[in-house]
Amino acid sequence: MLNTATLRAAGCDVDAGLARCVNNEALYIRLVNMALDDSNFSRLTDAVASGDLKAGFEAAHALKGVTANLSLTPLLTPITEITELLRHPEPDADCGALIEAITAARDKLLALRD
Amino acid sequence: MRNNHEELSGGRRIVLIVDDEEINRELLGAIIGAEFDVVFARDGGEALEIIRRRGASLSLVMLDLLMPGVHGAEVLRVMKEEDILAHLPVIVLTSETSSEVECLRLGASDFISKPYNMPEVILARVRRTIELYEDRSIIRGTERDPVTGLYNIEYFYRYAEQFELRHPDAVTDAAVVDINHFHLINERYGKAKGDAMLRRVGEKILAEVSPLKGMVCRRGSDTFLIYSPHGLDFGRIMENAASTVEGRDGGESAETVHLRMGVYACCDKDMDIERRFDRAKLAADTVRGSYRRRLAYYDESLHDREMYELSLIDDMPRALREGQFRVNYQPKYRISGDEPVLASAEALIRWEHPDMGMIPPGVFVPLFENNGMISSLDSYVWHEAAAQMMRWKRRYGFTVPVSVNVSRIDLYDPGLYGDLRAVLDESGADPSDLMLEVTESAYADDSDQIVRAVTALRDMGFKVEMDDFGSGYSSLSMLSILPVDILKMDMRFIQGGRGGERLLRLIIDIAGQLGIPAVAEGVETAQQVSLLKSLGCDIIQGYYFSKPVSADEFEGFIKERIKQC
Repeated sequence: MLNTATLRAAGCDVDAGLARCVNNEALYIRLVNMALDDSNFSRLTDAVASGDLKAGFEAAHALKGVTANLSLTPLLTPITEITELLRHPEPDADCGALIEAITAARDKLLALRD
Repeated sequence: MRNNHEELSGGRRIVLIVDDEEINRELLGAIIGAEFDVVFARDGGEALEIIRRRGASLSLVMLDLLMPGVHGAEVLRVMKEEDILAHLPVIVLTSETSSEVECLRLGASDFISKPYNMPEVILARVRRTIELYEDRSIIRGTERDPVTGLYNIEYFYRYAEQFELRHPDAVTDAAVVDINHFHLINERYGKAKGDAMLRRVGEKILAEVSPLKGMVCRRGSDTFLIYSPHGLDFGRIMENAASTVEGRDGGESAETVHLRMGVYACCDKDMDIERRFDRAKLAADTVRGSYRRRLAYYDESLHDREMYELSLIDDMPRALREGQFRVNYQPKYRISGDEPVLASAEALIRWEHPDMGMIPPGVFVPLFENNGMISSLDSYVWHEAAAQMMRWKRRYGFTVPVSVNVSRIDLYDPGLYGDLRAVLDESGADPSDLMLEVTESAYADDSDQIVRAVTALRDMGFKVEMDDFGSGYSSLSMLSILPVDILKMDMRFIQGGRGGERLLRLIIDIAGQLGIPAVAEGVETAQQVSLLKSLGCDIIQGYYFSKPVSADEFEGFIKERIKQC
């Protein structure tokens, strides 16, 4: 069940996220669900896989804003890292591990729905 | 001051939120929606479309920077270019501290970082941005002169004072630029052309003054004030400003427009801002009427004159108390018979200053006209002259009607009638023996008000003389409605030769048509007397008969007159 208690248990800073939703819990949960379904996750994965680092940066940056606003901490940490990596990409930068971390964190939160 | 929980007055404002992420839009919408109506755009293109369509109905744009398609920075750039930012503020939404400076440089008013602050903080910043912009646009609407777009005088002085506070050690110059005979330009070419000329002169001056961060305003109808850090080339400003006017292919206006400028350089910082411009104006007035010299600086000699005038102004109340002002009388003679006979007198003021000796009225009267002190001086003369007239009447059984001056500001003073009533009550004089001289140019000011005042004075029984007739700008149509009993002309203002003679004939004819006498003053030669006599002017005043003399000396004329009977 995805709710404030399970999100909190999963490491999200629910109080901060809720405050930004003017403490409207229904709104918060709806937006978290939207965030988890955000198409930027697949855009990010595809872009990195195909080597389009600019598109990858834009997707990561967008996800960073959203997860930060909702205080989805487990997602925010690796997303912030990959955003910085893609901002000034170095030739030997390894995004694979971060993509995996992001996917794992997202799956963990998606699992709360069941 | 509004507190944080108080909404802006005047209804809910509309805020446009621009973000490609729906979650961010919803989140911000929930926060902002508590106090404002919200519209959304998903990218820069949509944002610009909404901004153009909704125009002034929007109060604020909250703009994400990094969006696919048209970026936030591009939206800002377009808004700046199309001058939309002047009335519609933008708050940028960003998670990049590095882009904050760039946003502010592009014209954003503020930024809100992601993740968002607490809703109260965001609301407060939104409220404050809107409030600042609205206040500023109200100020903009009132601080400018609508014709030229320059500051108006009040704001100009205030900004000059602010400049002084911030730069107390800056060396500054104050300058005044006047357009010569601007009212004639307005009359000849119409107000629209006059306004266009004012705009061009203003633009030219501003273009020269701006690089030094100086400021310009328009005062009155045709005067520009410049306040600037020292270093402007005023000669060039004059040339450029005048050339836009004179060189324009307006053709006919080319030779009629001239500027004059006065500069008070390196202003004394202990002096009020306004007084600094008085000094510049003083300098400008020294080139009034000169086509050769059009630019003058306030200097030592002007300083001396100013100090002299200030000391006269300081001394005036005491002089009035101590009776330093004397009333002298110049006789007027009727020349219609074989022998001239005393007809009346004009009361003239003189100042016998204990330290500075005799000060001519030409020096102090204009000063007191400027600062309003002339009213108490006029009143003093009225009381004194009426009392003197009655002393002569008691002593000789003969009434010498006396004319006294009524300055134009007296005619605006509601206390005028009460004071003149007191003159009559105290002296017992008959109002028809007192002739009130009003200068012709006074009628040009606000003819309705002057006509009303003069009518009221005549209703009280006084005779009204129009002084210096022929030197002002009375129109013929005004003459027909003027309530006036005597026309008075000054021979010193009427040149000799055939032209002068024609003008005299004309004035005397006008008096004849109106059925009132014409009086000539400033008459000095026998030739003038015989000319005036031949033209039918009956009453004459001037050195030909006598200079102004003391009341005691004047008794000689009265005795002579009595002998003639």
